[in-house]
Amino acid sequence: MSDTVLEVRNLKVAFPAPGGVIRAVEGIDLTTQKGECVALVGESGCGKSVTALSIMKLLRTPPSVSRIDRLELDDRDLTHLTERDMERVRGKDMAMIFQDAMTALNPVMTVGKQIDEVYRRHTKLSRKEAREETVKALELVGVPEARSRADSFPHELSGGMRQRVLIALAFACMPKLIIADEPTTSLDVTIQAQVLDVLKSMQKDHGVSALLITHDLSVVANMADTVYVMYSGKIVERGAVLELFTDPRHPYTEGLLGSVPKLSDDKQAFVQIPDTVPHPMHKPDGCYFHPRCSYATDRCRQHMPRLETLDKGRQVRCWHPLR
Amino acid sequence: MTANHDRPHSDPLLEMEGVSVNFPVKRAYPFSKRRWIQAVTDVSLRISEGETFGIVGESGCGKSTLANAMIGMVRPTAGTVRFQGDELYALKPKAFKQARRNMQMIFQDPFSSLNPRFTVYDIIREPLYIRGGASEAEMKAKVLELLKLVGLDEEDMYRNPSDFSGGQRQRIGIARAIVLNPKFLVCDEPVSGLDVSVHAQIMNLLMEIQESRNLTYVFISHNLAVVKNVCQNVLVMYLGKVMESGTSDALFANPLHPYTKALLSAVLDVDVEASHDRILLKGDTPSPIDPPKGCRFWQRCPFAMVGCETIPAEMVDVENLHQVACHLVSGFSPEHVAAGLDQPVSSLPQTWAD
Repeated sequence: MSDTVLEVRNLKVAFPAPGGVIRAVEGIDLTTQKGECVALVGESGCGKSVTALSIMKLLRTPPSVSRIDRLELDDRDLTHLTERDMERVRGKDMAMIFQDAMTALNPVMTVGKQIDEVYRRHTKLSRKEAREETVKALELVGVPEARSRADSFPHELSGGMRQRVLIALAFACMPKLIIADEPTTSLDVTIQAQVLDVLKSMQKDHGVSALLITHDLSVVANMADTVYVMYSGKIVERGAVLELFTDPRHPYTEGLLGSVPKLSDDKQAFVQIPDTVPHPMHKPDGCYFHPRCSYATDRCRQHMPRLETLDKGRQVRCWHPLR
Repeated sequence: MTANHDRPHSDPLLEMEGVSVNFPVKRAYPFSKRRWIQAVTDVSLRISEGETFGIVGESGCGKSTLANAMIGMVRPTAGTVRFQGDELYALKPKAFKQARRNMQMIFQDPFSSLNPRFTVYDIIREPLYIRGGASEAEMKAKVLELLKLVGLDEEDMYRNPSDFSGGQRQRIGIARAIVLNPKFLVCDEPVSGLDVSVHAQIMNLLMEIQESRNLTYVFISHNLAVVKNVCQNVLVMYLGKVMESGTSDALFANPLHPYTKALLSAVLDVDVEASHDRILLKGDTPSPIDPPKGCRFWQRCPFAMVGCETIPAEMVDVENLHQVACHLVSGFSPEHVAAGLDQPVSSLPQTWAD
């Protein structure tokens, strides 16, 4: 078939809660190509992390209730896999990089041992061979003195080093898909630049497809090829990064881009989107964005627009797309 | 930018001279040598009334400690802090309390800086209550006025912080900070815990309040783009020391210190078409316990020279109000090279003061 690595069709996730249902994700379609970096952008509470977790099948039922029409990884149907089978897929065919390296790593186990574990579990390497691979993996992500660093515990490493270890861990078996959930949010700017560089070169050099989940548009601009903008559980816009950033069609995308302060502009006031994201239990009628949208009309207040496909894979969910 | 970038007013609101803050490290063994974290070393600055003063640097560079020293929360190990002309840490307890009333702080994390068991009314009223001298009705009227100012409703008064989103909580934090009509407000990364779309709302609110109440801000951030847009003067810190300082126009137009340059190039832009020639720094920030002897930045500096590791770089004037501590700019003096290692760190030249 084609180069499609991940295909998600109509993913829905809800959380029953006292007093109603929280519809976290409301029917999302996602595809990633080989060697492509796809970004899923949105504010906190828009359902992007839940999307990532359900692709990894890491959400438990209860509390979540999810439905998915199709989940394919590299032409293999994962929709109905059992937990046991999923365990063989996670870490080998797809892996995840979490936001907070301090909580993602086991604090009482050396980092080397944690990476060894991936090899021991998914390949037939011996203990010694696994350690060799671990050292190689650590060297790949730019950990200096990898052999001795492998014997240190997570707390002995700096934030940037820990994030590198997480990247090494995710890339250990060269999976087909990497899901990175806010990989650099907790890091300093100079360290963020280092880590993103490592992540990008790892992903491009090995032709791995990546799903980058972030709220930081500047990270997206530097990393991604394709962008999905998510708002309140729905995709509101999709497009190639260059087109989407230079010519946003959805008012939300426009607002998000405008609210990022730039070094190049001299204005004192910041462009702001009024109000905040609706509570997931009390979403407004019609388009979810209409209470914050300056272009909203009566039609927007009553009916939810469909995700219309424009030219060149560009999709937008708006009654009045910007020109 | 609105405020004038001329020379600061003759009498500054807050002045720091050679301020250092050290914290003791717990001894590993009972009689081992006491070691110190040198959080802030030899910082001098002047903040004039009505301006926004930016402090930039990575985590662990001492920005928050410096801010705490400014508002009387941490006594400096050396140096003086003068607020409105009085030496802050030499004041008598009563006068000290009086001065502290004029300084408030907005914290980074709106989730941990508000008491979850208090209602919004309790939180905003607390400073008034502690100051005393206001009746219940007066306090209520004042709280209401402030809630309106920061964009919250009257009904929100008796709800708990947990009912609010991050942006709204930060609004509550702002209301609490300005309830005593302070002159001086320290904003310690006020938006970095918030969503992008809310950033702009909070920043605009802060700017409005500054204009209407003639406040002086110290704005701590690691986001250079925000600092550039709101601050008139900027201080770049690294590992407890000032690397570069100046008006934000001068500093951003002509960054001289390699660290400032690296910071600027590390700011990722949303401009997808621009080319990115980034200066990537090697390694991490070293520990502030036993920091490097010479220039504190030399280990990560892409342009480090032989003398950089042993001779501390001193602040030199490059142009009007623009100072930088870098050997690349100042060059090595012959005496320096001759004197070598144990050259004392001389205090900064007093060039802010004309």
